[in-house]
Amino acid sequence: MAGILLLAEHLNGAVRDITKEAIGAALSVKEQLGGPLVVAVIGENADAIANAVDLSGVDEIVTVKMQGDHFDPHIYEECALQLGMKYKPKLVLVGHTVNGMACASAVAARVGAGFASDVLALSADAGTVVATRGAYGNKVNLEVAFPGREIVVLALRGATYPIPEGAGSAKRSTFEVDLGEASKAMLHTGYIEAPPSNIDISKAEYILSVGRGIQEKDHLPRFEKLADRLGFTFGCSRPIVDSGWLPKPHQVGQSGKVASVCKVYIALGISGAVQHLYGMKHVDTIIAVNTDPEAPIFNVATYGVCMDLFELTKELETQFN
Amino acid sequence: MESRVIFWGINTHQLIMFYMIGTASMLIFLYGAYTHIAKYARGKSLVGPVEFTDRLTRALRDIFSHRTLRRRDNAAGFAHKGIFYGYLFGAIATTLYFIEIDILKPLTGITFVKGKFYLIMSLLLDLGHLALITGIIYMMVRRGLLRPKKLEYVRNYRGETELRPDAKTWKIEDWVFLTTLLLVGLGGFLQEACGLIVDQPAWAAWSPVGYLLAKTFTGLGMSVETAASIRAANWWMHGILALAFTAAIPWYKAKHVISAVGSLFMRDSRPLALLPPEPKDAEKAGISSIADFTWKDMLHLDACTKCGRCHEACPARTAGYPLSPRDFILDLREYNDDAQGCPTSGPPLVGGIIAPETLWACRTCGACQEICPVGIEHPSLIVRMRRHLVEQGTMDPLLRNTITVIGDTGNSFGENSRKRSQWTKALEFRVKDIREEPAETLWFVGDYASFDPRNQKVSQTVARLLKAAREDFALLHEGEKTAGNDVRRVGEEGLYEELVSHNIEQMDGAKPFKRIITTDPHSYNTIKNEYPSFGKVAPIEHYSSVLADLLGQGRLKVKKPLNKRVTFHDPCHLGRLNGGYDAPRKVLELIGCQLIEMPRNRDNSFCCGAGGGRIWIPDTPGTQKPSENRVHEAAALGGIDIFVTCCPKDLTMFEDARKTGGHEKDFVVQDLAELVAEAIELKSIKLQDLPPLADRIVKSVATQIADTVAAKLDAVLANRLASIPAASLAAPVAQLAAAPAAAALAPAAPGSASQAPPVQEAPKKEEAAPSAAPAAKANGADAAVTLPDTPFKPVSWDAISPVTPASFAGYQAPAKNGPRILVTIKHVAKLGDEYGFTSDGRDVRREFMEFSLNEWDDAALEEALRCIEKLGSGEVVAVTVGDADADASLYKVLAKGAHRAVRIWDDSLTNADPITIARALAGVAAAEAPDLIFSGVQSGDQAHGATGTALARILGLPHAAVVVGFDWDGKDAMHLVRELEGGLRHSFDLQAPAVVAIQTGINTPRFATMKMVKQAKQKPLVVVDGKDVQDGSGGYQVRRMYVPQQTKAEMLTGTPSEIAKFIANLIREKKGA
Ligand SMILES: Cc1cc2nc3c(=O)[nH]c(=O)nc-3n(C[C@H](O)[C@H](O)[C@H](O)COP(=O)(O)OP(=O)(O)OC[C@H]3O[C@@H](n4cnc5c(N)ncnc54)[C@H](O)[C@@H]3O)c2cc1C
Repeated sequence: MAGILLLAEHLNGAVRDITKEAIGAALSVKEQLGGPLVVAVIGENADAIANAVDLSGVDEIVTVKMQGDHFDPHIYEECALQLGMKYKPKLVLVGHTVNGMACASAVAARVGAGFASDVLALSADAGTVVATRGAYGNKVNLEVAFPGREIVVLALRGATYPIPEGAGSAKRSTFEVDLGEASKAMLHTGYIEAPPSNIDISKAEYILSVGRGIQEKDHLPRFEKLADRLGFTFGCSRPIVDSGWLPKPHQVGQSGKVASVCKVYIALGISGAVQHLYGMKHVDTIIAVNTDPEAPIFNVATYGVCMDLFELTKELETQFN
Repeated sequence: MESRVIFWGINTHQLIMFYMIGTASMLIFLYGAYTHIAKYARGKSLVGPVEFTDRLTRALRDIFSHRTLRRRDNAAGFAHKGIFYGYLFGAIATTLYFIEIDILKPLTGITFVKGKFYLIMSLLLDLGHLALITGIIYMMVRRGLLRPKKLEYVRNYRGETELRPDAKTWKIEDWVFLTTLLLVGLGGFLQEACGLIVDQPAWAAWSPVGYLLAKTFTGLGMSVETAASIRAANWWMHGILALAFTAAIPWYKAKHVISAVGSLFMRDSRPLALLPPEPKDAEKAGISSIADFTWKDMLHLDACTKCGRCHEACPARTAGYPLSPRDFILDLREYNDDAQGCPTSGPPLVGGIIAPETLWACRTCGACQEICPVGIEHPSLIVRMRRHLVEQGTMDPLLRNTITVIGDTGNSFGENSRKRSQWTKALEFRVKDIREEPAETLWFVGDYASFDPRNQKVSQTVARLLKAAREDFALLHEGEKTAGNDVRRVGEEGLYEELVSHNIEQMDGAKPFKRIITTDPHSYNTIKNEYPSFGKVAPIEHYSSVLADLLGQGRLKVKKPLNKRVTFHDPCHLGRLNGGYDAPRKVLELIGCQLIEMPRNRDNSFCCGAGGGRIWIPDTPGTQKPSENRVHEAAALGGIDIFVTCCPKDLTMFEDARKTGGHEKDFVVQDLAELVAEAIELKSIKLQDLPPLADRIVKSVATQIADTVAAKLDAVLANRLASIPAASLAAPVAQLAAAPAAAALAPAAPGSASQAPPVQEAPKKEEAAPSAAPAAKANGADAAVTLPDTPFKPVSWDAISPVTPASFAGYQAPAKNGPRILVTIKHVAKLGDEYGFTSDGRDVRREFMEFSLNEWDDAALEEALRCIEKLGSGEVVAVTVGDADADASLYKVLAKGAHRAVRIWDDSLTNADPITIARALAGVAAAEAPDLIFSGVQSGDQAHGATGTALARILGLPHAAVVVGFDWDGKDAMHLVRELEGGLRHSFDLQAPAVVAIQTGINTPRFATMKMVKQAKQKPLVVVDGKDVQDGSGGYQVRRMYVPQQTKAEMLTGTPSEIAKFIANLIREKKGA
């Protein structure tokens, strides 16, 4: 029993970054765990995607032919199980993504494996895996171990491991899975694209975002005006959209948009949840304002201001009058 | 003998006619009175008894002195007094004649209105009439020419510029009332003068006005014949007018001559200071329709004369908020004039006739009821209507948040209760804990004085003053929760009751003390007036009177009289509501301040705008803050050094208003105690005031030693844990069991593999880590160390071991009637900005956590409730894994509408991994056999995002995660939408039963008031013993928890303006501008 099995994730014919990052994470423990790194690609156009995951360090890419390219957690789980029986990996790795959340712990419960999700670092200790994850709103870290488990399923946090460089030359193979009941659980009916909008967070160079710290819908116009005066695009965290205060295109983060080309990002009253950080932590200059000195947003910010955001906003308004 | 001929020159026919008219007038009057009484009879009865004599004497005193009418409008009060006494004398005289002519004389032949009695009566009547006419003429001049603003009915505070149609009729009735009364008065004099000309009695001068008038008429050449014919004609005119006036009394403005008397009699002695509770058995809270009015409420409405005194006094109206207490009452009255005490099908009362924003505008300062001349209790009505709004959840989101936060943490700052007495840390001495040591005085600190940084300074000063005066005082420390005065005034009666019983319980359980003091007038008010209805409480004093006493007795000695020109703001809850006007003024005098009163002082003090929960509701843009209005008033006095407050909320509000109002250069805002400290030159505490030196040294050394030992121990343990290789954590147990102390601390189990460890292991650990935790009082799990893990089952690909549902042999689900939806619930923890770890380094200590209902589960619950509501039958069952503290969240979901709750617990489940939690939940789910299970996508604290999915697999059910769209008819497939990265949505169908993990944003969860939470306690909550859940099939074992080494942002310090400048420059530089 050895090695690592990685379930690739793809959407609309393109492999997701998280899968490539997971390859990077896998490589960091591959040697200690021994055995090969096998990447499984499940879907109708599995071959095309397989090419994209052939990064240096991947030993084998196994494609599982399936009807349709959409994600079905029941099918992925079944595949993981049968692939596991074949390759007997010590570590099964998936992304802690919307898809990952729907299947990782099911795989673990199915076989009785060790399990941890939202893993931000992994290491190996005497041939077994040790994982690190956040706890209590990511204010602290938690180091977890899986003594006695020859199988561990981990869901890896996105944007934590770098994508390895260089193409690989992995062995290609195919695998047949007997889906049985698993194919009947879910009926795919389609995708719904977000409606078009003239706000594009992913193209904005300067973003001012507000979070739940602004407390009230009535305060929004004030910040929107400030953003406008600064010449910044107006962004927000998810709860602002959830409450219906701003339309979805304003949302920064994993289920919103990533501020890919942003140069200066101002975060007012945003705690810095993982999913929000996903959308902005790479930005060069981040200014975060929060009354909680321990807010995780300060861990990614360039400049932090521990102060009531309204007090500071008032002064900023004077500065940009 | 001297007397008056009543029916002069009237023949029998005419007399009969007159009596018929008179009877008709009486009947109309009586019918009017009857409709009112019938209307009141439809009102709800009063809750408490009505003490009769006190009220009667108070009402009579108020009426005859006209005390309530003279205030702040002396001329109008005086004029009204003339009208009142003139009318009263007239009414008495008429009644006397009625008794004589219609009762006594026909029956017995006796007459008594004659002779001296008649002469004196004549004189009084004459003068009374003169007063009446003068009064009315003044009132007409006032309405017509002086036109004080308060008599204006245009609602410009609502942006209206035209009179409403109703208000036009009000204007007409005002003038009709004055004019008829004037004509009745004038007609009376005319009659008298003509009578005197015709009869020429010897006693004519006893009616001086009539006499002078008669002289004038004859002087102008009026003959006796002319006088006689005027007398004959005017007799009818005057008589009919007077009878018409009487008949009309119940039907328009004039009704106040009766209703105001009733209203003044019925007014409460402490309205607003002591709010009426909700009836115990009430099905719904507060006032939502006319059916919820008591007859007393209706009587008050009928008493309003539109005098506008409340309209003028109201801080909300003054600041431009949509509330005028007068219009509020008039709108209610108009409504009830139509409804007559019966619910109607028209627009709803609250939300229709009275807008929610009107109700939320009120600051419960009591200015309106205090100045009301007829004893109307506006705030009580407003608060009772708010109770309904709160129950409906119709409130400002920030207010809703604050209420939730108070429910969760016991204070409006959302701070951990541990921090309540943190302000005492800066003191040179330790402040007693009344829960441990007795003291003379218990200081109830209150929220603002405990948590607000500016007010903490004041609290420290007060503490030092008390210490300097050798006052023996103590605090409840974290045992104190907010007193609830404003929570009650917001209308959250359930939460209020909860807070009161907590605080009373704490005080009951404390060591003995004699009195309570507080710096907070809000806490003062409710503890003084309202707490006694809930239990015994010691007498309470406001610190202003404590300071006045200490200075007066020389226990605090003034060393340096301040010689400052100061002005003083009376806090509403101290002054108006409790009459505490003098003590603070006395203090100012004793410390040598020259007090310059603001025009609105004492009972006319103008509210800072923070009361009634308004401090938790943001100001509406475009309004002036009441506090700014107030600081302008102070600034206008000129040359004021200090604006003195004696209320924490006042300090906050006026400190702010001084800046925003542009008076930073004019004066400073300071608390009374700070001035006292300056005057007695309190610098720091003298050594002799402190506990004996030796005592302190011993204590501090002891603490230091304990801390060092604990820290060392922590380090040793942490090292040890880290050095145990992961694999050996599951090493044979026997070895570890040989060293019991280590076994208890190391994350491996003593005892046999499949058994949960015996709980009595726990106490030992406290000995191992002496006083590392400051008197940890955590519930359930031991705070010092987490429990050892159950060793894992070995699992490999050759021997997989699917996780099974836990089996709860004793647990039986009730029989199903209709669909059953299970919702998984978590009571999630949040850490503040400081926290410490358990001594085994595997978790954060319990006392540093604040708990609340997981927001994802809240959305899941909402979806479940909506689903059951849509299907029309069935039940929602909430399941959690948590200790007894988690009941708080379960009651919350039960209050929102879940039908039952199940809680699984055993200490071995503390901070368990998601697979273990899912196994526990699956045990209950297997027994419940639900048609559908909802979970939240993740929990706010641990964010596993895995429990729902694992639960589905353990149960063998289909599942979906991150669902933002859900549609199900209860039979066919469910239509679901899940949200992917980047906002793309994926739609698909799934067959029930299934597990659906809900993402926030799918709905807006409903709100549960504390009353609903309390009622929810009637619903079934079953606790299941979870000792067999841990069977070695868990997902992970925790090795350690630690604060990550991270690069942190460069923290910018300085004033907001300095930081803003820095940021502005940075932005300009980055944008290359
Ligand atoms: C699958 C999934 C996808 C998600 N996708 C996203 C996403 O794309 N984007 C996203 O943002 N979230 C996303 N979330 C939600 C995320 O987990 C957090 O719940 C969210 O980001 C929190 O938003 P917040 O920081 O505004 O609110 P909170 O966490 O409530 O933080 C509010 C902050 O404001 C501060 N504050 C309060 N008052 C003041 C004041 N007066 N002055 C200064 N500071 C103040 C507080 O200290 C606090 O730190 C997702 C969650 C899941 C499960």
